[in-house]
Amino acid sequence: MKTKKKILFLALPALVTLLTVFIIPMIYTFIEGIATDKLDFYIKFCTDPFYLSILGNTAILSVKTTVLCLILGYPTAYFLARTQSKIKSALLIATIFPFLISAVVRAYGWMVLLGSNGLVNHFLMAVGLVDEPVKIMYTEKAVMIGLTQLLLPYMILSIMSVIQSIDSNLEDAASSLGANPLTTFLKVIFPLSAPGVVSGCTLVFTLSMTSYVTPRLLGGAQYLTVSTFIYSQVKTAFNMPFANAISYVLVFAILLFQVFSNSANHYVSKKVGGV
Amino acid sequence: MYEKKKINWLFKLITVIAFMIILAPMIVIVIVSFNATEIITFPPQGLSMKWYANIFAENSKFVDGFLNSVKLAIVATLFDIVIGVLASISVTKYSFKQKGLLISLFTSPMFIPSIAFGFVLLQMTASMRILTPFLKILIGHIIIILPYIIRNTLGILTSYDWTIDDAAASLGANPVKVFFKITLPIIKPAVLSGALLAFLYSFDEAVISSLLTSAKFTTLPVQIINYMEFRFDPTVAAISTILMAISLALMILMDKFIGLDALTKQ
Repeated sequence: MKTKKKILFLALPALVTLLTVFIIPMIYTFIEGIATDKLDFYIKFCTDPFYLSILGNTAILSVKTTVLCLILGYPTAYFLARTQSKIKSALLIATIFPFLISAVVRAYGWMVLLGSNGLVNHFLMAVGLVDEPVKIMYTEKAVMIGLTQLLLPYMILSIMSVIQSIDSNLEDAASSLGANPLTTFLKVIFPLSAPGVVSGCTLVFTLSMTSYVTPRLLGGAQYLTVSTFIYSQVKTAFNMPFANAISYVLVFAILLFQVFSNSANHYVSKKVGGV
Repeated sequence: MYEKKKINWLFKLITVIAFMIILAPMIVIVIVSFNATEIITFPPQGLSMKWYANIFAENSKFVDGFLNSVKLAIVATLFDIVIGVLASISVTKYSFKQKGLLISLFTSPMFIPSIAFGFVLLQMTASMRILTPFLKILIGHIIIILPYIIRNTLGILTSYDWTIDDAAASLGANPVKVFFKITLPIIKPAVLSGALLAFLYSFDEAVISSLLTSAKFTTLPVQIINYMEFRFDPTVAAISTILMAISLALMILMDKFIGLDALTKQ
């Protein structure tokens, strides 16, 4: 009895805060929305191809961003985990530093780089790849580049921590038994690092699905994601019940994905032999 | 061995590309902030400090926004350190049935999109006149940054040896004294690194803030976004450069006193 009281006393402040201003309002708003408008606005969202395409585009964008982060992040994580080079700590700092920098600032940097007068277009024209500036800003490409830069450090750190825990003797053992480096990588290192890949991908996908600042600044009104669409429904269309419905579509999509990734995580760690 | 070299070479190349992508926008911002012309060109046509002066110009609200953001982030972080550390102790010191449920509750704000939570707050607080925009945004930030502090603190507390506390208590120290003299000094690095991440998350947060902001009260990130909608001159680059310098300073301080290891464990 005494222990129970102690637990409650310690947990109470956080519990009360979370319940009163987060959990209960989230549930209440959902129920109230259904009570007043039934499922009208959910049906509106799910039957109109335009609205559905925003959700679809956001999911495709997030998958592309995740794949890009994995392609760039895996080799980087491997290099960082295994290198004995002097620049290792400098590179680690370069990986962590972006966590401390605002998404607004980082998107602004891309606006300078990707604009029709920006460095990337100057470079493309100077090399002769294109004759006139290509439109990158306010397209899926711009948002994808921005998100990749924003989320790549998460992927690198997730994978790096797992590779660091893999005994490097395993690689020597595989090669002494005659496996070539590619086989060693594909049959030994990659499977063992799968838990890091799963958690990195989960993080990157979730964060790109819900990101707001990057799509707002780099996608603008021309390339909408679910988040920027909700915002425009609130601030410019003033269609609150509709914004409410889309918000909960996004919430449930993310929760569903979490359930899926949890079981993927479970499956992978079981295969690897438990981490 | 030839093949091994090829793979190594490929991995190194991709590493270089990855860091180019990570660093490019940040380097470009610093260069552009010293650009002499209003139209952003690259490379810059001459050097100038006028964009830095522009931040502090009379009608600019950037300084106000900066102070508002700092205030919000400090209050939210301090509040969450208290409730977060207590909550973390409750689920690590004792073992009980609902422990897992409690931990997922404490970290649940991580899994809810900020835009959805911000919109819920907007609807719930619309009719509450007593709540100023500062308080509304503060409530939002207190919730979304809590998981950063709790996760970091939980990380260190799961390997914490609670018998030290019992030893201190058996020697006559009361629970409050045990906490401040024994527990807190040991978990301080993790709490501080969590607090740094939480502080910066609140300081940089733009989703909940843009939904709940008013004409009288805005935060710096919202102000920057609004400014960019009307003008695209290097003033934002100058502010961004200052913000990056502050983050760099915080990171160096952190590295000096507690090490960066805690930050890499996301």
